[in-house]
Amino acid sequence: MANLILEKLGKSFGAVKVIPGLDLQIDDGEFVVFVGPSGCGKSTLLRLIAGLEEASTGDIRISGESVISVPAADRGVAMVFQSYALYPHMTVRENLSFGLENIRMPKDEIARRVATATKMLQIEELLERRPKELSGGQRQRVAIGRAITRDPKIFLFDEPLSNLDAELRVLMRVEITKLHERLGNTMIYVTHDQIEAMTMADKIVVLRKGVIEQVGVPLELYNRPRNLFVAGFIGSPRMNFVDGTITEVTGAGLSFQSPHLPPLTLPARPGPLRAGATVTLGVRPEHFTLSENGTGWPLKVSVAEQHGANSYLHCVTPDGTPMLIHEAGQSHVARGDILRAEPREGHWHLFNAEGQRMPLDEG
Amino acid sequence: MRATAALSGAIAALAALPARAVEPVMHGAQKALGIKQMPWVFLIPNLLAVLLFSLMPVFINLFYSVTGSDRLYPVDRPYIGGANYETLFDCGNYLDPSTCSRDLFWRALGNTLVFVPVQVAAMIGIALFTAICLNRDIRGRGFFRSIFFFPVMLSPVVVALTWQWILQRNGALNGLLTSIGLNRVNWLVFPDSAFFWSVFVTVWAHMGFFTIILLAGLQSIPRDVYEAAKMDAASPWRVFTRITLPMLKPTLLVVFILCVIRSVQTFDELYVLTGGGPGSATILIVQYIYEVGFAIQPRNFGLAAAASLLLGAVLMIFTLIQLRLARGRNL
Repeated sequence: MANLILEKLGKSFGAVKVIPGLDLQIDDGEFVVFVGPSGCGKSTLLRLIAGLEEASTGDIRISGESVISVPAADRGVAMVFQSYALYPHMTVRENLSFGLENIRMPKDEIARRVATATKMLQIEELLERRPKELSGGQRQRVAIGRAITRDPKIFLFDEPLSNLDAELRVLMRVEITKLHERLGNTMIYVTHDQIEAMTMADKIVVLRKGVIEQVGVPLELYNRPRNLFVAGFIGSPRMNFVDGTITEVTGAGLSFQSPHLPPLTLPARPGPLRAGATVTLGVRPEHFTLSENGTGWPLKVSVAEQHGANSYLHCVTPDGTPMLIHEAGQSHVARGDILRAEPREGHWHLFNAEGQRMPLDEG
Repeated sequence: MRATAALSGAIAALAALPARAVEPVMHGAQKALGIKQMPWVFLIPNLLAVLLFSLMPVFINLFYSVTGSDRLYPVDRPYIGGANYETLFDCGNYLDPSTCSRDLFWRALGNTLVFVPVQVAAMIGIALFTAICLNRDIRGRGFFRSIFFFPVMLSPVVVALTWQWILQRNGALNGLLTSIGLNRVNWLVFPDSAFFWSVFVTVWAHMGFFTIILLAGLQSIPRDVYEAAKMDAASPWRVFTRITLPMLKPTLLVVFILCVIRSVQTFDELYVLTGGGPGSATILIVQYIYEVGFAIQPRNFGLAAAASLLLGAVLMIFTLIQLRLARGRNL
């Protein structure tokens, strides 16, 4: 059992507070992804857990025991680095066994672990090669293998796929997920790629400026983003936002009005919003219905991207707000066309002036 | 603001003057020769310098080594074949210099054969240690880096005179010793201590140069490899022997070759500091060549040329072996 608890964990570099102090609980066997834009502190957080950075405040507990003053090697965690950080002058076998030799593990046990890891990752035939004789994907496997041989309680991955090409990235994504199913260890994975986060995670932690914006299962973050930041960050392509005001609050709902756009009635519970409040409406690109009958928002198409299976229509509203619409299949729309698009009911996200999600009655 | 802008503009214009002056000449040359020949135009000044000051002397040296007499002009020198080489190698027993007709050559060679390994080992060891210390996050790192590099910028004669002032009978070191109640030592009068200080002073004078190269090599080792080693529970000693040293090997090899060549060429510091003495205790091969060729009357250019060619041949063989090893071991 290896759960991880972060308590008021903070990190400052000089006067700069990279992580002001955060609390998080990760359960045994969970695959947790830290996601956020670059500079959000996600890698620093991982390095704090690994023991490569010293925490300024707070505590880290693994399986209930504080490891805050335990050296990196004794925390029972293993890390896969973004650059792989393989030892370039050692063969794959030496790379995998170096850490085990350091703790004076018996030779036959080292051999057994190396054999198990290489078999699991299908790199048995690479054992006598040096890292520079390997492809990017093979190096990645060796780096993961090095972590596996140490048999850690927790695996830490620091943007491990960012140096691979797109095709290989998809492949490795699936492999790491399978590896997690097979090993069952707690895994923490840092990425700025929200597709990796959505597809791999049991639980996503969205970070911004060292602060946790939202924690949840992937679809919860997608369906019910807690604030504008999460709404804009999770989902690809990103959510469209329209600024407007609440003109009327009735029993049926709220009237949302944006300049130059037809008003919308949103089915809202009686909430803190009053008439005249400034709000932002969010609609995902896939949640528009193109209407034939002339109602809906008039949007002018500036670029129509045809991906084959999908079409992405880059549009602008009459006041110049960009709006992206996803259309399944191949679109007949061309540049310069005026579309009528209606946000699909039940897929609206409303945020108040502070960027916090406002409850709506959904679908 | 405007004044400084005008000033910097004027300086820039002044700096561009030589380029402006050369431009029409270069244009003319390019028109006459064609653009493909232009690299030669740029290379010729350097090639001429190398030819004149490096290659020509080698051949002139070869000529002198096979001609005799104390006359300087080539036309006055008769051909004597390998007589100079025979003189150098004329020995009853190579391990006992007093049985040789040119015993000083063999003593100098013997001294050099001890001096070079000792000095190179000390130099690389100390430079590596210093570089590793300077590579850490210590306070005043920039200050220490320049301090260790300073002696490299001093003229060898200044270095030697400074240390002579420290080491002589009434020098600073003896002053220090007597002030704490110890006896004076005549450092440069005893063969062993003179030899020790010869090594010490030359290491002190040149260490900074090698420290800088090794420091650059250390800094090219990626930080995350060290972090991986930290996660892998490697002790500091294991990190040094299994990570730092192997990854520094290419740099160490360059430093080793440079260091050996420089060490064999050691002359000026010791010539001023000990003059090769006491007796012949610190005379090295280059000083022997200098003395035979220029200092001792009658001046024997031929013998000096022969000795220097032998030295050149040994250095060349050594360098080739090193380069071969480097290529073989390269990662």
